[in-house]
Amino acid sequence: MSTRDKVTINKLPTGVPGLDDIVGGGLPEFSFNIIAGAPGSGKTTLAHQFVFANASPERPALYFTVLGESAIKMLRYQQQYTFFEPSKVPDSVRFINLSQVVLEKDLGAVLAEIIKEVEKSNPAVVVVDSFRTMVRKSQGSPGELDLQAFIQQLALFLASWQATTFLIGEYAEDELRDNPIFTVADGLFWLRQTAERNSIVRKLQIVKLRGQASVPGLHTFRITDGGLQAFSRTFGLSGHKRKESGTRRLSIGIPVLDKMMGGGIPEGDSVLVTGASGTGKSVLATQFIAEGIRQGEPGIVAVFEERPQAYTDRASNLGMDLETPQKDGNLLILYLRPLDLSVDETMNEILEAVKKIGAKRLVIDSLAGFEMALSPGFREDFRESLYRMIFALTGIGVTILSTVEVDESFTEFPFSTYSISFLTDDIIRLRYVSIEGQLRKILVIIKMRGGSHSQDIREYEITSDGLVIAGERLKGYERLISGIPARVKPSGEKG
Amino acid sequence: MLPLETRDLARQILASEASAGDSSHAAESAALRVYEKLRRRLCALAGVTGFRSLACRALTLAKAEAPGLEQVQVLADGSLQGFREAEPPGGKHPDGSGEAILITQLLGLLIVFLGKSMTLRLVQDAWPEADIENCSSGDGTRA
Repeated sequence: MSTRDKVTINKLPTGVPGLDDIVGGGLPEFSFNIIAGAPGSGKTTLAHQFVFANASPERPALYFTVLGESAIKMLRYQQQYTFFEPSKVPDSVRFINLSQVVLEKDLGAVLAEIIKEVEKSNPAVVVVDSFRTMVRKSQGSPGELDLQAFIQQLALFLASWQATTFLIGEYAEDELRDNPIFTVADGLFWLRQTAERNSIVRKLQIVKLRGQASVPGLHTFRITDGGLQAFSRTFGLSGHKRKESGTRRLSIGIPVLDKMMGGGIPEGDSVLVTGASGTGKSVLATQFIAEGIRQGEPGIVAVFEERPQAYTDRASNLGMDLETPQKDGNLLILYLRPLDLSVDETMNEILEAVKKIGAKRLVIDSLAGFEMALSPGFREDFRESLYRMIFALTGIGVTILSTVEVDESFTEFPFSTYSISFLTDDIIRLRYVSIEGQLRKILVIIKMRGGSHSQDIREYEITSDGLVIAGERLKGYERLISGIPARVKPSGEKG
Repeated sequence: MLPLETRDLARQILASEASAGDSSHAAESAALRVYEKLRRRLCALAGVTGFRSLACRALTLAKAEAPGLEQVQVLADGSLQGFREAEPPGGKHPDGSGEAILITQLLGLLIVFLGKSMTLRLVQDAWPEADIENCSSGDGTRA
């Protein structure tokens, strides 16, 4: 028996954008699954999306409703979603109410009713909603078919009839132990929603999935007009091979700075440009993007603190035309300001944009604005999320330049208020310095993971041509990075 | 007052059912057979309790238009009592018999809750021969 003789498990589309990637390519055919979660967490909607994605007149979906939500009202609400196609009811999607059997009879009768309908329709998909209410009703009724036996028989029967099954239930997490249903199930989807300050944070977890590897952890999801949309923690890039880091250098559009960096930014690096307000971080970032466009490398700018038009206008004042590349499809300026975003949603938007225009360069302006756009619950995970995001994007060869504002201190020289320096390959530090009665600006390359870089501290100006580094390195001063330098006295001179 | 399209839909179904009726159904009116078909399908969809609630509401609305339905009752299983005796087919009401009005009200409720598209799908599934595509649209024109 060779590996070629192994059974192939077909993967069915979940109908939920982003979820196929999380479950490892699709839901295993003929699997017996549980969707668990609190009321309002999206269980029924998820099941409906799966049903409408897989049902056909030849292999319909049977949707058994039990006690709880009225079937009529459920249909009334569910058809508001764009995935719900009324034309599929009842040929492809059939709703069957079991409440009478559940109320008047026992689990044996319920099983018989399900078997009767399944044998009649030969369904590809079977949903029981809510399975939990059915089980609750059965408890405390002696002499009935044992719950474990019922679940066992139901699972066996539905798998034998080649149906992929979802049982929906309102379960609490402490019920995971000692519950026969979770033992029998091939897949367990747990939906959570929590209120954090004024925001609702929704997350889903594949607690268990037999037969294939799913992406572990909690994945955020959103419920929109189109139903659930899931955002994988690995941003849909889990199966992608990391792009080999090459030797190519990307010009920033500031020749002196390129030279200081050993020829530019190594392709696929993550660069942090850090400095106080007004030091020119955004200007430098804009030059990086504009230079990329000049060299035929499409770019994306994710802005959080100003509108795309304002960003474009500001670039225009610095002699950079961002209007034309936007029209030509070489530049996308994403305005990601709505509150309650998760990093994963933001990433999804950025990744879609990267795919859309084949972007090679990305500017995130700024990380502080990015953090403010997140729901409070997601801010706690900001560093970890940022790490995943940068790792995923640089892994596909995108070079990222992020800006971050730091408080200007004349006693310290911080690189970032976020302690995220470890996430970046290269750091460019901009700062104010007081020299001869003027507040001037200096820059220095703090680190370059890819190799050597200039140690020089260079003075620069923001001009109508952008950030311009003038002259030679600043000589004749000490403690420049303190912001309050002192002239170095010529040797022999006494102080 | 229900829109013309709902009344038109009810008429189409009743006509389809009447033409399909054979001698074994002679004792029952077409309206009763329509009601029974809807009952079976809607009980499967919404449960007996769910269907019965809708039927009671439809009957109450129909009674306001057709006082001849006063004696009609919805039983626990959703079936009707006193239906045939209520009014002879083709009563004096401009929209037809009280039975037809009850069917119209029931369809009207389905349209309110499920929408026109899904209601028509359900009806077409039960009466494939009915010409429901040509029912009036909401403004009285043909669809």
